[in-house]
Amino acid sequence: MIWKMKFNTLKRVLCLLILLVVPILTFAEGQANTLFEKGNALYKKGEFKQALETYQLLINDGYQSAGVYFNMGNASYKSGDIPLAILYYEKAHKLNPADEDINFNIRFANSKTTDKIDEVPEFFLANWWKKIILGFSISTLSVFSVLFVLLASGMLVVYFFTNSVSIKKLSFYTAISLFSLGIISLFISDRQMNYFNAHKQAIVFSGSVSVKNAPVSSSATLFIVHDGTKVNILENNNDWMRVRIANGNEGWIKVGDVKDI
Amino acid sequence: MFAQDLKFTASVNRNEVGTNEQFQVDFSVNGNVEGFNPPSFSGFEVLAGPSQSTSMSSINGNTSMNTTFSYVLAAPKEGDFVIGPATVVVNGRRLNSTPVHIKVVKGRAAPQNNAAQNAPDNTVSAGNTSDLSKLIFLREVVDKNNVYQGQQIVLNYRLYTRVQIEQNQLDKLPDLTGFWNEDVKNTQQQPQVHIETYKGVKYNVIDIKQTILFPEHAGNITIDPIEMTFVVQQPVAATNIMDQFFGSYKEVKYKAKSTPLVIHVKPLPEAGKPEGFTGAVGKFSIEASVDKTSLKTNDALNYKVKVTGAGNIKLLKNLNTAFPEDFEKYDPKISDTVTEDANGVSGSRIYNYLLIPRHKGDYTIGELKFAYFNPTTNRYVSLSSKAFHVNVAQGATENNVTAFSTSNQQDIKLLDKDIRYIKTSNDDLYRDDDLFYGSVLYYLLLFIGPVLCGAAYAYRRWDIKNNSDLVKVKNKRAGKVAAKHLASAQIQLTANNTQGFYEDVFKGLYGYLSDKLNILYANLDRETIAAVLQERKVDSQLINKLLDTLDLCEMARYAPVTHISKQEVFEKAKGIINDLENEI
Repeated sequence: MIWKMKFNTLKRVLCLLILLVVPILTFAEGQANTLFEKGNALYKKGEFKQALETYQLLINDGYQSAGVYFNMGNASYKSGDIPLAILYYEKAHKLNPADEDINFNIRFANSKTTDKIDEVPEFFLANWWKKIILGFSISTLSVFSVLFVLLASGMLVVYFFTNSVSIKKLSFYTAISLFSLGIISLFISDRQMNYFNAHKQAIVFSGSVSVKNAPVSSSATLFIVHDGTKVNILENNNDWMRVRIANGNEGWIKVGDVKDI
Repeated sequence: MFAQDLKFTASVNRNEVGTNEQFQVDFSVNGNVEGFNPPSFSGFEVLAGPSQSTSMSSINGNTSMNTTFSYVLAAPKEGDFVIGPATVVVNGRRLNSTPVHIKVVKGRAAPQNNAAQNAPDNTVSAGNTSDLSKLIFLREVVDKNNVYQGQQIVLNYRLYTRVQIEQNQLDKLPDLTGFWNEDVKNTQQQPQVHIETYKGVKYNVIDIKQTILFPEHAGNITIDPIEMTFVVQQPVAATNIMDQFFGSYKEVKYKAKSTPLVIHVKPLPEAGKPEGFTGAVGKFSIEASVDKTSLKTNDALNYKVKVTGAGNIKLLKNLNTAFPEDFEKYDPKISDTVTEDANGVSGSRIYNYLLIPRHKGDYTIGELKFAYFNPTTNRYVSLSSKAFHVNVAQGATENNVTAFSTSNQQDIKLLDKDIRYIKTSNDDLYRDDDLFYGSVLYYLLLFIGPVLCGAAYAYRRWDIKNNSDLVKVKNKRAGKVAAKHLASAQIQLTANNTQGFYEDVFKGLYGYLSDKLNILYANLDRETIAAVLQERKVDSQLINKLLDTLDLCEMARYAPVTHISKQEVFEKAKGIINDLENEI
C-alpha cells in the first residue's frame, strides 16, 4: 500500500515536469510565430532587406532563437552585408553551437571576407573538449539535466521502497547512471556558459581597422584587419579593447570599430 | 769715351716694403756693358730677373747708351737689409754700385681692388717681370670654408693672369670626393674677365668654372688642385731696336696647378635634432595638396608635396609621409625645378604620390613632418603640412581587390556555391528573459529530485524504525483491529444475528485489550484485565464499565439479554475503546 502511494507521487511529479518542460521546448507565441513566418516568406520572395527588418522586429520584442539569428544572417548575406551576416551567424552559433547549418554558413561567409587568417591549430584534446561542450545548445542541456536528475531521484525512491530484490537492483543502477548523466549535462552546460562568457568575441565592422600596439591613437600600427573579421576580446580599457585574431596576433582597437557577438 | 761720365747706379722703386711685398731693383749704367756681376741679395728672394734692357739715344751726334738690369725681389723677413754693390765692366773699367738700404716692415695687407671692371686693363700686360708663376696662376676660391655637413659651398676655379694667353687646355679637374656636386651652367659663351688685385698686384681674372658642393661627411675635406696647360706670350729682352720698340715676346708652354684647398666640415649638431630629420640643410618650405578628398574604392588619389627652398634639395630623401596603412601606395614621382647659380642651388622639388584606397571608410592622411637645418641660424626647423580627411565610398566593382592577401581565397574549392537555406521551424524561439537555463524553475526542478530522495529516505528510515518495535506496533494496531471487529459486529447487527454480534463485540474488546496490554489472548481473563488496567492507573469506573460489558457479551452468547438493546451494547463497546485509547 505504501509503495503504491509512493508510485502515485512519482507519477504526479512526472506529470508536473512534463507540463513545465514541454512548453519550453514548443512554446512560441502566436504573434512571434506570425512574424517569423512573414520573414521567411519575404526571404523566399527575395526581399532580403524587408525579411531582415521583420526578423529584427522579433529581436526587438525580446525574442531570440538560433533559427531567427540564422535567418537574419542569411538575409544579411543575401543583401551583401557580409560582416553583419557573420555577426548574426555567430549569435546563432552561440545559442545553438551544435547546428551544422550555422557552422557551415559561418565558414562560407568567412571565406568572403577580406582577411584570410590562418588559424592557429588547436591541440587535439582542446578541440575535442570544445566539441563536447558545444555539442548541444544550452536549452537542450538544461532540460536534459533536469530530466536526468528527476528520473534518477524517482529511481532512487523506487529503490528505497520496493520489496523485490530484482527491482531494487535495477532501480539502484539506473538511478546511479541517471544521476551521472545529469551531473555531466549540468557540468557541460556550465562549461558552455563559461566558454561563451570567457570567449567574448566581436566582428569588425569598419572597413579597415589599424590594430595598434597600445591603447593610444599615436602608437604604432601592428597590422590591419578589415570588416568581417572575428576578434576575441581580451580586455577593455576605456574605449579601447585588446583583441586577438585567429592567427594569434594581438593588439588594441577602438571599441567603436567592432560589434559584440 | 769719357770715363768720368760713366755712372753705375742702383735704385729701388721704394725703400720701405712690407714682408713678401714685391719690389724692383734696377741697376743701370750708361755705357756698353761688357760684364755684369749681381750682388748676393742675401735676405731677399729673387722673384724675377735679371731682365736686361738697353736704350740708346743720339743727341747732337752724341750717342749715349743706357743698360738696365732689373730684379724683382721680395723680403720674407722684417728688418733692415742692404743690397750689396753690383759690379759692371764698362769699357774695360770695373765699376761698383752704391749699396741700397731697404727697410722691411711687417707686411701690410696688399690693397685689394675688387671693384670689378669688365674691360681688361691694358696696363696689366705691361709688366716686365719674367717669372711666369707670378704672372699666371690658378686658384680655387670658395665662398666659405667652414661649413656644416650638407651646407652648400660655391667653388670657383679662377685663372689669374697678367700675360696674354694664346692657348689653354684643361688637364685635370678635381675629383671632389667627399662632396656631392652640382655644376653651375654657364649662361655666357665667352668667359667674363674682370680685374682683381691679388697680393698687391692687379690681374685679369677669369672664372673658369663654378661648382656647388655639398659636403657628405664631417671632417677636413681636401679639394684637389686644378691643372691646366697654357701657351703664353712671355716678354723677352729686346735684341734689336725693333724689338725694343714693339716689345719682344716668345711663346712659352706653361703648366699651372692650383694649391689644394681644405674645407672644414662640421657635423650637424645633435642637440635639438628633430625626429624624422633626413639631412636637409638650407632653408625650405613645404606645401602638400590632394587632388580630391572624396572618392570611391580603387580610384586613384594624388598626393602632392612641394618642397621649395635653397639647399641640398636634390639630396632630399623620401618624405615621412603619414598615409593610412591600408592605402595602396606607390613610390613617388619626383620632379625637380632647380637652378644652380653663383648663390647656390635653389628651386623646388615635387613629390607626387599615387594612392589607391582599397576599402571604404574615412581616412586621414596625417601631417607631413619635414625638418631641416638652417646653417645661418644654426638651428633645426620643423615644418608640417596640413592633414587631409579623405572619404572613401564603396566603388562599383564588387570583386574585392585586396592589397594584402598574397594568395586569394578562391583556391578553396567549394562544392556548395551558396549559403545554406534559412530555417523554417522556430521551435526554440523564446524571450531573452525566458532562458530556461538559470531560471528559478530550472533550479527548482533540479532540486526537487534530490530533496524528494532525501525526504523518501528519511521517511523510510523512520518507517523501518517504527516497525522494528512489535509491542509498539501491536499497541498502535490495537485500535484498528478493534475497529475491524466492531465493523464486523455492526454487520451482524444489521443482519440481526444476535449471537454473531455479541461474539464480534467480545472478540473486538478482547483482541483490543490483548494487543494494547501486550497479553496473550489465551492468558486474558477478567481478573488479569482488571489488574493490569488498575496498574496502568485507568479510571476504575471505566474498568467496571469494561468488565460489565465483557460479562454482558459472555452472557448474551448463551442467554437472551433483554434489559439492553444490541445497539446500546455496540455504542458502549465503541465508547470504551475510545476512552481506553485516550487513557493509555
